[in-house]
Amino acid sequence: MSQSNLEFTFDDQTITAISGQSIGAALLAANQRSLRKTRFNNNDRGLFCGIGVCFDCLVIVDGISNQRACLIEAKPGMKVQKQVGSDA
Amino acid sequence: MHNVVIVGAGPAGLSAALAAAAAGAPVLLIDSNPRLGGQYWRMPSDNVGQQGEQHFDLDTGLILINAVKARKEIEILSSAQIWSATHKDGVNTLRVIQNGAEKIINTKNLILCTGAYDRTLPFPGWDTPGVMTPGGVQSLLKGHGVLAGKKVVVAGSGPFLLPVAAGVVKAGGEVVELLEANNSARWLLSPFVMLENVGKLKEAFYYVKTISQAKVRARFATAVIAAHKNSEGNLESVDVATIRGNFKVKKVRNVKCDVAAVGWGFTADTSLAGALGCKQIVAKDGGVVVSADSDQQSSIPGVFVAGEITGIGGAELSMAEGVIAGISAAGFVGCKVEVLKAHRKRRAKRQRFADALIKSYPVKAGWISWLNDQTVICRCEEVSVGNLKYAVNELGATDSRTAKLLTRCGMGLCQGRVCGRSVVDLVASELKVSPTDTDRYSAANRPIITPIPLGVLAAGE
Repeated sequence: MSQSNLEFTFDDQTITAISGQSIGAALLAANQRSLRKTRFNNNDRGLFCGIGVCFDCLVIVDGISNQRACLIEAKPGMKVQKQVGSDA
Repeated sequence: MHNVVIVGAGPAGLSAALAAAAAGAPVLLIDSNPRLGGQYWRMPSDNVGQQGEQHFDLDTGLILINAVKARKEIEILSSAQIWSATHKDGVNTLRVIQNGAEKIINTKNLILCTGAYDRTLPFPGWDTPGVMTPGGVQSLLKGHGVLAGKKVVVAGSGPFLLPVAAGVVKAGGEVVELLEANNSARWLLSPFVMLENVGKLKEAFYYVKTISQAKVRARFATAVIAAHKNSEGNLESVDVATIRGNFKVKKVRNVKCDVAAVGWGFTADTSLAGALGCKQIVAKDGGVVVSADSDQQSSIPGVFVAGEITGIGGAELSMAEGVIAGISAAGFVGCKVEVLKAHRKRRAKRQRFADALIKSYPVKAGWISWLNDQTVICRCEEVSVGNLKYAVNELGATDSRTAKLLTRCGMGLCQGRVCGRSVVDLVASELKVSPTDTDRYSAANRPIITPIPLGVLAAGE
């Protein structure tokens, strides 16, 4: 692993990111498209606007729910989880 | 005490900061991104590495960014989210969150350069992972060096589809289809504008060259009207339709892809200006923008506005407006400086180009015929077309605001940024009336700019 790479987990999966990449970008690079399940219809959602406007890419980051995967920079050892429903 | 506070560090904000600093005014530049440049010159981290081939004119961006960083009169506040803005007795109060802590900034002189985001239209399946905005696909490429998919359909309307398609090709992806909903001949409506904006022609040819080298054929009068998912819930294919001038469907075929980038131009981010009370107007494309005088001053003395929030017009118009706003704001705080004729002339030329764009890439009402009752309208609150129709036809909603209260459409985390404009059009269409300006303002304004944790509020004043 080169120095600029780092690892975090998405549920039980280990994801490699380049430092500076967002959680969302790193997950997409790992072909992880569905980031959450919606509250009412249990539908899959992923990155949509990519710039923090739409709030569709919500994930749980280190226990805190409703975090926008497209905005939050991936850090080593981060524990990211798929958000199911409101998971608050 | 900072004399001029600027919000947004894209083409308009950077230009404004330089102009104000050059005139002798100390500047505080606030931006929500970790790095300067905005969406247009989105910069990756050093480790991801410069994505030069994703930009037509990265050089201009880097010159501006480095110049802003080099000027000691400019203080930069990055990764800072403004969640509230109020105006009282000539003073603007901004509440900023940076690293989880709140900062309060009071200023009499403000330049808002908050930019724009992709305009989207709902269609069946548009909430499937894999359906994205063109801006989203581009931000992944420019900012993170990540290609959103292997087989990409780029669709919608407007010149922005070209750089996105070219970017996918340059990053090694396949653009399966490039679809423009409008007819190519619409540019003939504005024959002289193209000639006086040769720079824009060059930019267009640059993208077209890349796209045609990859043997991607652009199709006109064609749109993505539905998306389908595979057993894992991800995008598998889209329905592509040839459409009439009014966007009604003629003929449909199915196209396999793993990403569909679908966008319909841009919506100005007027949230901050609206919260302060700056006068707004409805632009020709139905979008709400902030009204500005010839010095880029809004209806509030001392509050200047530049770039996409005064009307969608691209990076070059934004820069021209930014310079004028920077000079005007510096003049407002007492610097001896004035806007030159050359500045106004440059802005006027680019404004004519922006006007031609709106004329060339309209969104016609026929898009509503692509929807069915199960189509999601409000992605946040999962409100469907059927729910909205029920609110109008059974519960008696007589405008989009009432429909919103009855259905929670536009009341989720994004606060109607994504669905607001479409809801206004849908409700009006259901009532068989034209949307009013009041409907449009109501959908464009929100008192809280961005959701914040309650703990931050509790810890503040």
